[in-house]
Amino acid sequence: MTATITANLPVFVVIAPLFVAFVLPTFARRMRLVESLVVAIEAIGLVGAGYLASIVLMQKGIPIIYSLGGWSAPWGIELEVGSLGAFFLLVVAAVSLPVALFARGNLTEEVGGKERVTRFYVLYLLLNGALAGMAVTNDLFNIFVLVEVATLSCCGLVSARNHPRAAEAAFTYLILATLGSALVLGGIGFLYIITGHLNMGFASQELGRIWQDYPHVVWMAASFMLVGFGVKSALFPLHVWLPDAHSTAPSPASAILSGLAVKGYLICLLKVLYIVFGHTLMQEFAMHRILVLLGMIAIIAGSLFALAQDELKRRLAFSTVAQVGYIILGLGLVNMKGLTGTLFYLASHAVIKSSLFLAAGAIIAATGKHRISELAGIGRKMPVTMAVFTVGSLGLVGIPLFSGFIGKWYLLLGSLDAGHILAAAVIIIGSVLCAAYLFPIIRVAYFEPVPEENWQDPGMPQKIALILLAVGVVILGVAPGPFLELASRAAIELLVIK
Amino acid sequence: MRILLEKLMINYPYFVAVILFTIGALTVLTRSNLFKKLIGINIMESAIFLMFIAGGNIRGGAVPILDEANPKPLYINPVPSALMLTGIVVSVSVTAFALALIVRLYQSYGTTDARRIAEMRNEVTEG
Amino acid sequence: MLDLILALLSGAVGGLIIAMMPRASSRLRNTIALIFSVTGMAFSWRVAQLVFAGESIRIAGEIGGLSWSLEPDPLGAVFGLIASTLWLFATIYSFGYMANEKKQRTYYTFLLMSFSVTLGVAFSGNLVALYLFYELLTFATYPLVIHERSLEAMKAGAKYIIYSLSGAGAILIAIVVTYGWAGNLDFAGGPILASGGIRPGLSLLLALFVGGFGVKAAIMPLHRWLPAAMVAPTPVSALLHAVAVVYSGVYGILRVVYSVFGHELMGQLGLSYVLPWVAAFTILVGVTIATQQDVLKRRLAYHTISQLSYILLGAFTLQPWGLAGAMLHMISYSTLKITLFFGAGIIAKQTGETKVSKMGGVGWQLPKTMAAFGIASLGMIGMLPLNTFWSKYYLMKGSVAGGRWPLALVLIGSGVINAFCFIPTVVAAFTGERGKPTAERGAEVSLMLAPTVLLAGIALLIGLWPGLVWPGVQAVVNWFF
Repeated sequence: MTATITANLPVFVVIAPLFVAFVLPTFARRMRLVESLVVAIEAIGLVGAGYLASIVLMQKGIPIIYSLGGWSAPWGIELEVGSLGAFFLLVVAAVSLPVALFARGNLTEEVGGKERVTRFYVLYLLLNGALAGMAVTNDLFNIFVLVEVATLSCCGLVSARNHPRAAEAAFTYLILATLGSALVLGGIGFLYIITGHLNMGFASQELGRIWQDYPHVVWMAASFMLVGFGVKSALFPLHVWLPDAHSTAPSPASAILSGLAVKGYLICLLKVLYIVFGHTLMQEFAMHRILVLLGMIAIIAGSLFALAQDELKRRLAFSTVAQVGYIILGLGLVNMKGLTGTLFYLASHAVIKSSLFLAAGAIIAATGKHRISELAGIGRKMPVTMAVFTVGSLGLVGIPLFSGFIGKWYLLLGSLDAGHILAAAVIIIGSVLCAAYLFPIIRVAYFEPVPEENWQDPGMPQKIALILLAVGVVILGVAPGPFLELASRAAIELLVIK
Repeated sequence: MRILLEKLMINYPYFVAVILFTIGALTVLTRSNLFKKLIGINIMESAIFLMFIAGGNIRGGAVPILDEANPKPLYINPVPSALMLTGIVVSVSVTAFALALIVRLYQSYGTTDARRIAEMRNEVTEG
Repeated sequence: MLDLILALLSGAVGGLIIAMMPRASSRLRNTIALIFSVTGMAFSWRVAQLVFAGESIRIAGEIGGLSWSLEPDPLGAVFGLIASTLWLFATIYSFGYMANEKKQRTYYTFLLMSFSVTLGVAFSGNLVALYLFYELLTFATYPLVIHERSLEAMKAGAKYIIYSLSGAGAILIAIVVTYGWAGNLDFAGGPILASGGIRPGLSLLLALFVGGFGVKAAIMPLHRWLPAAMVAPTPVSALLHAVAVVYSGVYGILRVVYSVFGHELMGQLGLSYVLPWVAAFTILVGVTIATQQDVLKRRLAYHTISQLSYILLGAFTLQPWGLAGAMLHMISYSTLKITLFFGAGIIAKQTGETKVSKMGGVGWQLPKTMAAFGIASLGMIGMLPLNTFWSKYYLMKGSVAGGRWPLALVLIGSGVINAFCFIPTVVAAFTGERGKPTAERGAEVSLMLAPTVLLAGIALLIGLWPGLVWPGVQAVVNWFF
């Protein structure tokens, strides 16, 4: 029994949440059961991801290959849990468990009605399964399908609140995201037509042989992919949908959308760029320069927009736009340190941003106030929540001992290795701007007169979820050991793939 | 020029796909009516489907059903068609979801025009 | 090693204890603060003693491929000594000054926390640890800067944060470049970049480092946050904005010059001919602006800016005598400046006067305070019985030894302008209507007065007997040359 489970674990971590998602509506009347089931499946996912990661770490770079249905590649569909896959699986599981825990209890009010809670969880698990799938898949068309599953469940989560603004944000998101998927599918089409493979490894080999015959097609494919995933991961000029979507969604949804969903698309982009095109082709077509440039623009512009917002969740949403810039910038560095940094930054931002959104959600749920200027003295009334928010902010700014610092350190090393002095400067300016838009919140919360109202920290499960995430931020900053190891291994594997 | 035209004639399905895609994208981005946006998305997706299927087509190829008694020299590649089946399913679900959202928006705002909705929302938040 | 850990932790532990006791009486809180300041000081002295005895104390670790280490050398030990000793004085002064203020818990919590962090800066053994504590210092002192919670204080706080973080950012880039070039960030093995020799971009790197640390060291034109930060309570201004925080910037620059580049490599860089003049510019302009200020604390702030550059000037001469002068000035100036600030605080607290132009006759009300203030003012000129005489002497010696005698003229000129800075205040304080020394009665004033007078006495003592601090200075000079 255990042998069967461990042998099939790569597919199990993807299928399990999807399966439970479809079973969930049958228990719709028993809320407690639904909630426990979701938390249980997330916990199982975390254990599975941890187990896979430990195997990958022990095998020192030999990936676990799983052929679906026993058909080996190139005919069948392949799942590959290498360092990259195990890394992202772990991130997904580690973030979605606390978020699911947080959702217990306070969700009913936010989404308006008990029956809607179950629907929320269905979408939540679907998104989870899709993200886990993105981590392990090694097939281009699978990527498209998973991206679509993720997109639809994201839209569903955005519209989960029973409010016309949520529906509007969801519609904008849906249209733009579908536009993005169409572009992604187009890009996959181009690649398939010239290479004849959908398996990424085979496509990459074929592409390496024939790209000189079809330079224009390769260009088209790359740009379609970049724009397509760019829309979905809110790369700066294509981010228009994000602030509305992430700020109107219920807080657990905002956390998972900003923390993980965006990262899933970035991982897909990373896989396509580094595994299918490969770093030599990327440099041949100067894609890395474009990525660095886009990243720098996103960091500065996103931060400036964030600075201008007074609504708490909108400020956090724009901050995501800026942070995506860091990851895109790191993708363009094409060296080991830069790539390690970008992967680690991705993980660190996933944990930090979800903790920030959850803390913001707890504040909004307790006070009913959305604006930063109205949050005076909240730190005294809700100490745990605000402490978590502070830890998250310090992490995002990149103060040593918190997770963001290590990511930024490697990004800086990488950008100087690649000779991008300007990029290094932008990374630093981004940190300062980040401090400029996050510290006022902390200042208002702690150093302004304490209000009369009886606001309180949220209930026990929420508190535990918040503390778990804050502890994650600190652990990643103080003892990043296995995470950093996985990230740097993944970076090496991506760079020596050809 | 002649060579270009000849290439175009041979690859006409791709040409059509590009035109369709452009029409779709323009509709999505320029129209403010939510239904038209949705239709634009559908047109765009059809363009991609067309491209994929055209890529799998082999001129003179037979239907890819293996008949041992009567083997054909050349078969059409069945994979793109199969993939596009999935694509169409996805596209339909997106459409259904978008329609549901449009209904929801119409119930609250009484219009399906994106610009009007934005105006009304701003009035609400300002007022 | 245990001494080092205890020295570092005592402030943080004390701060945490105070933070966790929201309902403690102010007497209990003061006792705790006193106990932990004293232990912090005692263990810092112990660490310094060990370091001067030639023992090496090292604590090191690694975070994500980044190794950090705590390893005080003579320079760090001297800074630790200055900071921990003055911290005790400032804490006692705070008992008097803050007695009737609000938010004492926050105040003492962060005062003690910053104590730990400052010692961390002093005892760090490589650039990573230095950067960590340098960054933390900004956050630990921020609540002290905005203690008043007024709009002005908030603005000053924002300015402080943005300036400091930008500086820290520049430092981070510089550290990354250094790491890329040398692969090592430890101070212990001699200058980090010396083995690589001269290479393109080295001047730029130096500029980044000096620019980054220069924010906290208030080199012009990076000084603007300092006068703004004077909205903080006086003990904070005295301790942090005349000594601890600004010294951490100065200390960073000393580290960069002598531990990262090394004086030999520095001497080969074109920039090393410019930097003393930047310092000289700041000295002259700072003190000139200071004479124009009417608000006493602002005058003191600009004066601080000027005096910090004395230390930098000494360091930038790259001469043993210059460094000796810099170290002596670091010790001497801090005692005098704190005395001045404490005096200003007592004046403001007891008479309500903050402007120099309205201080006529204050001296009769506060004779002891003004006596201490007067001694310190004389010290700022560099008069003989006071400790700054010796530091200026060595600074000039260093300038001349480096063949840059115009710098010595700058020092003399600045001494003359200094005379216009505080002496008129003292004179004015003792003219006008003769009053009774009524304002110097009461327990609170005594708590403020005792450290003030004691520090003036120490300054005088060092001036009369420079041999008291000379071993420390010599240890630093021998360490780097």
